[in-house]
Amino acid sequence: MKNIKKYILLTLTVLAIVSCSDDDSAPVANNVTLSFTNTFNDTPIVLGDATATEATENTSAAGQVHHFAELKYVISNIRLIETDGSEIPYHINNLDKGATVINQAKPQSLNYVLSDIPTGDYKQIKFGLGVRSDLNVLDETKFPNFYAAAGENDTEMMWEWGTGYRFTKIEGFYDADHKEMSIHTGSTIDDDEEGNFIQGVDAYRDITLDLTENAIVGSKAPKINIKADFNNLLSGKSNTITLTSGSGMNDNATPNVHTAVQMMKFVDNLGGNGQSDTKGMFSIQGVEN
Amino acid sequence: MRNIFYLFIGVLFFSACSNDDYEKILPKNPALAVQIPENFPAVNAAYYTNTPTEFGVALGEKLFNDKRFSTDNSISCASCHIQSHAFADDKPRAIGVANREGIRNTPPIQNLAFMKFYNWDGSKLQLEKQAIVPIITHEEMDSSLSQVIAKISKDEDYTALFIKAFGDEEITSDRIYKSIAQYEYTLISANSKYDKVVRDKTETFTETEQQGYEVFQQKCASCHATALFTDQSFRNIGFPLNTNTNETGRARVTGNLEDYMSFRVPSLRNIAYTAPYGSFGQFNTLKEVLDYFDEGVLEADNLDPIFKENNNSIPLTEQEKEQLIAFMHTLSDAKFVSGK
Repeated sequence: MKNIKKYILLTLTVLAIVSCSDDDSAPVANNVTLSFTNTFNDTPIVLGDATATEATENTSAAGQVHHFAELKYVISNIRLIETDGSEIPYHINNLDKGATVINQAKPQSLNYVLSDIPTGDYKQIKFGLGVRSDLNVLDETKFPNFYAAAGENDTEMMWEWGTGYRFTKIEGFYDADHKEMSIHTGSTIDDDEEGNFIQGVDAYRDITLDLTENAIVGSKAPKINIKADFNNLLSGKSNTITLTSGSGMNDNATPNVHTAVQMMKFVDNLGGNGQSDTKGMFSIQGVEN
Repeated sequence: MRNIFYLFIGVLFFSACSNDDYEKILPKNPALAVQIPENFPAVNAAYYTNTPTEFGVALGEKLFNDKRFSTDNSISCASCHIQSHAFADDKPRAIGVANREGIRNTPPIQNLAFMKFYNWDGSKLQLEKQAIVPIITHEEMDSSLSQVIAKISKDEDYTALFIKAFGDEEITSDRIYKSIAQYEYTLISANSKYDKVVRDKTETFTETEQQGYEVFQQKCASCHATALFTDQSFRNIGFPLNTNTNETGRARVTGNLEDYMSFRVPSLRNIAYTAPYGSFGQFNTLKEVLDYFDEGVLEADNLDPIFKENNNSIPLTEQEKEQLIAFMHTLSDAKFVSGK
């Protein structure tokens, strides 16, 4: 009972403080919009099928011309860092509220609105490309909205056998003869009951980006413009990749990138290697206050 | 704000109450006496966190046989895991809803409590984490946990069983996984002629079986080891390759090229009931498998060292093949496959 009294007191105090700030002229919280632009270098990507003339073409460091027909990726575990260093997590343990699928074919998906971000000045953003292992289970009962957004079983943002979500899904074409490229990433990591044995790969990548100027949340709702440069896919900081078609153990264009075999090279290029590179393909284009 | 405060107080009030005067008498759910064969290796540690109970197993068995687990209510777990085939089937690759064909041969469900890895590529390390795979896979049941729960929650038989097994009627994914695993833990096959000869010493091999046993120990037992007849390792033994573009064997899980086209060494128990053989049913008979070993397997960078050291083959005379097949038939557990 003593504890309960303490909690009530604590709650009252918190409520008192919260209601105090209600009286001030600036709101206690506002929205922050994350606006994603998917590019090849500085050119925004236009999707297209094999022979589409309007599709944005890119040439890799290895000299392979390529373009995309489909481009999707998952953003989750979003945290905003205030100028004093304190971290504001955005529903980081709830995929329904704090994760989204960026889909180049759906313009509205390119803007993800974070609601109720506390008033303050923010200098940095952190987010995950993919889904953290502890949340990465294809159990519809856990996060039904995100499960639906990821497309149930037909948009292939799920790895059924790995029982986790696909983190990135890229379909496209490469070389003059438009060979198919199909690059999917996702985690296969699993551990045994006692935690003595861990197997598989973790394709989740934590991204840290310094904002070009502080995002000021208060009477205004700022917008953070994030560029995802898919030139990195084949010509990244970690790996320079030459695509080859076939079903051999070293082929990587399609189809066995659907497995963990060649996948991690793409993962490191897109999301960084998790050590020296925590940006991968992402950069801040600007902040609109 | 006030409302939230009242709600908060309200919640505290209720939770305080339930701590004090909630003492419901639950129906008894006794632990099931599972016979662990003395010649078997240790069980998976997950077993001890989910030991079979009478109603947990009854519930698991009912779920295992429920076709509502598939999106169109056409197949259950038992549609592919057929008891008379040691809970495998007779097809090269598993057939799911709408006659969709999977990429691999249906594995038998037997002695799973003693396994460290599940699925041919070992993608799951606890049985409780395995059941979701066929439920959501497009080529298998193509359903989802919410779909399944919505369908079975209207069924009063389940309400009763969930209360008996777990104390209340709530149907959750975790309870489904646990009860199916409990049922599967009870599927132990250890009553073959081999067990009666070697463990119980109540029967004897025929001369051909005995010769087969000797050839087996010399040429097969380094992989098909222990009383489970698998050392649970993953090996590329140069079998004809599955050209399905999603297949890379265990490498699909680990990402290591050394695991390319490697699969878990299959148990040979009840092997006579589980044709065809190979990860995608490449061989129709045991004789075909032995002929293939004798003639030579496919070369690969990561071909198992045992094959590499022996010119990529296991040389066998026709007589040795006959003897081996006779021995492998002593691993048949008629009681297990008949369910009596």
